[in-house]
Amino acid sequence: MQKQVSTASKSVPHTSPGGRLYDKLEPYLFLLPAFSVFSVFLFYPFLRTIYLSFFLTDKFGNAKVFWGVRNYTDLFASSSFWASISVTFQFVLIVAFGSLIVGMITSLLTAREYPGSTIISASYAMPVAIASAAASMAFRMVFHPTNGLLNIIFGTQINWLGSPEWALFSVSVVTIWLQSGINFIFISAGLRGVPDELYESASIDGAGYFKKLFSITIPSISPTLFFQVIINIINAFQSFSQIRLLTQGGPGDATNVIVYAIYRDAFFNFRFGTAAARSIILFLIIFIITLIQFRFEKRSVHY
Amino acid sequence: MKKMLSLCLILALFAGLVLPVNAENPVEIIFWHSMGGVNGEAIVKMVDDFNKANEGKIKVNVEYQGTYDDAINKVKAAGMSAMPADVMQIYDIGSRFMIDSGWALPVQEMIDAENYDISQIEPNIAAYYTIDNKLYSMPFNSSTPLLYYNKTAFAEAGLDPDTPPTNFDEIIEMAEKLTIKDADGKITRWGYGMGNYGWFFEQWMGKMGLHYVNNDNGRSEEPATKVVFDENGGAAEVFKVWKKLFDEGIITYLGRGNTDAKAAFISGDIVITLESTAALKSLLTNVGDDFEIGTGFFPNIHPDDKGGVSIGGGSLWMLQTGDDARQKAAWEFIKYMISPDVQAFWNAQTGYFPITVATHELDAFKENLEKYPQFGTAIRQLHSTAPEYAGSLLSVFPEARSLVETYTERLINGEVTVDEAVEKLAAEVNSAIEIYNLTN
Repeated sequence: MQKQVSTASKSVPHTSPGGRLYDKLEPYLFLLPAFSVFSVFLFYPFLRTIYLSFFLTDKFGNAKVFWGVRNYTDLFASSSFWASISVTFQFVLIVAFGSLIVGMITSLLTAREYPGSTIISASYAMPVAIASAAASMAFRMVFHPTNGLLNIIFGTQINWLGSPEWALFSVSVVTIWLQSGINFIFISAGLRGVPDELYESASIDGAGYFKKLFSITIPSISPTLFFQVIINIINAFQSFSQIRLLTQGGPGDATNVIVYAIYRDAFFNFRFGTAAARSIILFLIIFIITLIQFRFEKRSVHY
Repeated sequence: MKKMLSLCLILALFAGLVLPVNAENPVEIIFWHSMGGVNGEAIVKMVDDFNKANEGKIKVNVEYQGTYDDAINKVKAAGMSAMPADVMQIYDIGSRFMIDSGWALPVQEMIDAENYDISQIEPNIAAYYTIDNKLYSMPFNSSTPLLYYNKTAFAEAGLDPDTPPTNFDEIIEMAEKLTIKDADGKITRWGYGMGNYGWFFEQWMGKMGLHYVNNDNGRSEEPATKVVFDENGGAAEVFKVWKKLFDEGIITYLGRGNTDAKAAFISGDIVITLESTAALKSLLTNVGDDFEIGTGFFPNIHPDDKGGVSIGGGSLWMLQTGDDARQKAAWEFIKYMISPDVQAFWNAQTGYFPITVATHELDAFKENLEKYPQFGTAIRQLHSTAPEYAGSLLSVFPEARSLVETYTERLINGEVTVDEAVEKLAAEVNSAIEIYNLTN
């Protein structure tokens, strides 16, 4: 591309036909810088991933043996892969809506000013500033099976991270907490934008708190909520450090979400082919979800 | 006279210009390690001392590269262009990979070049890193697993605090006496507990005298092509123990690795546990005066097992930088790191074995042993094993180890039976080995 441009401008002097050619090329020249950055950091890795997914790689990650679609068929045949897909969807659903609900409740609680509300707001927003790795280390102690805070407070003997029934729930709780901060900030900002007149006239009509909440507040902030759901889903798909530090995908495959499985394949087992195949599948899943989301947006989000 | 002096000074200045190498520029080498916390501080101190003693000649730049896994992944990523370091600490299970990669300069070559006497190195430790009678890397931080127990709790439960259990029959028997339940029947103290750590599985194979993989446990010139722990029944025996401990309610699950088990032992929630010798110092420091810690040999699966433990931990690898001066400097540094004085310091700071026998004669070492007699158990255990239990070498060991942990979890959660766990585990590890051998 670049070569064509330079030969064109060199060989043709600035006569009128050349000038017209330049006019035609000019917009592409402006696109070139952005395009080259995207090529290096997005398009090339993407194409390379597709390419690698048809190969077995050596210990350096070089394509070595052409494997056709066997990376894919092997995945589809393995029960552990389907377990990982199912776990991923459960995790994303719990986290996306859990953190939205927590963000919603906390921002409603601080919507009106009262003594100490700024301190409380600050503490609700705090998880934004906490690194997920640090939070995971702290929660590891909270969840500890014999001397964890949670078991001491509730007087239970639940193996929060070690039992298949609880592990996904526990990891989700940490992730919800981590994401609640950003939900709180955006939803709070959204609430400030709802005009007071709407509430006033609804009060005159005799509407109660929950009537106002569901008929005024939620429809008014639906663009914010929609945006937040998308962000939550993307973040949930990308969750990594809490899983690596808390459960390492275990017990069994109970918390082996697809991003963690990709990491294991690529950087632990050094099988980049399988990891690439998983990535392509993840890409397709997210692509379809995004399409569905925008379809849904047209119907029920009010701008 | 004065003239002579000034002339000399001028000449010296010129010499400094012409021969700057010796005067100003020491040979700089890079040392990558994976020791965090207290152990990392000890490393930095040792390197500083070396740099001071070799000022103007050799300068070692010490770089912490995260965990063993992180460090080996970084060298894999960098290895395609140039070696990122001169000396590197690699974990035991990275050995086969390093040999196959061709990046390593076997220390045997340096040993042969100057007839360095390696009889000083503990034979049971050197055996692990010796393949085809060639010492590939220099043992540095070596450990074995040990059994740790709470002596105070033993005495309270009417057990002899000087007799730790030696096999799982005894562990189960003692654990039942040591377990405490509250009025509601909830267990407030577990008699026994251990982390789900794939390293222990490998150790039990050695304790039973069985191999993990074929081709002389992966130590012949031809690397391993499949696991044998399914055929020789070893894996089933280990899994049966896990299953029994859970079915009889002896233990609770303490996660993969050792972190949670260690925390539970320190807080007194479990009485008997398994840990590396390298954890001794930190256990003693953390427990303090809360209770007295005792140590015993890593337990047998069956009372009559005749094998032994193998060492874990790390060793120092020389990388092929192609620069003669730097390789010589790296070798000097390695010799320093294993010298008796340095090893005595290292041992006292961490709990890793002193890898040179001469260290045992030093006062510093003797004092430390007197202060912490628990460490004597580790030395006795090391001397009671034999080179033939040096443990297996396998290119895909990190993956195999984590698969062992996954199948242990599936087993204790009732997803698979013992036989299914062995069969599926073997199939998955075999397929990983097959793909590795196909592509590398």
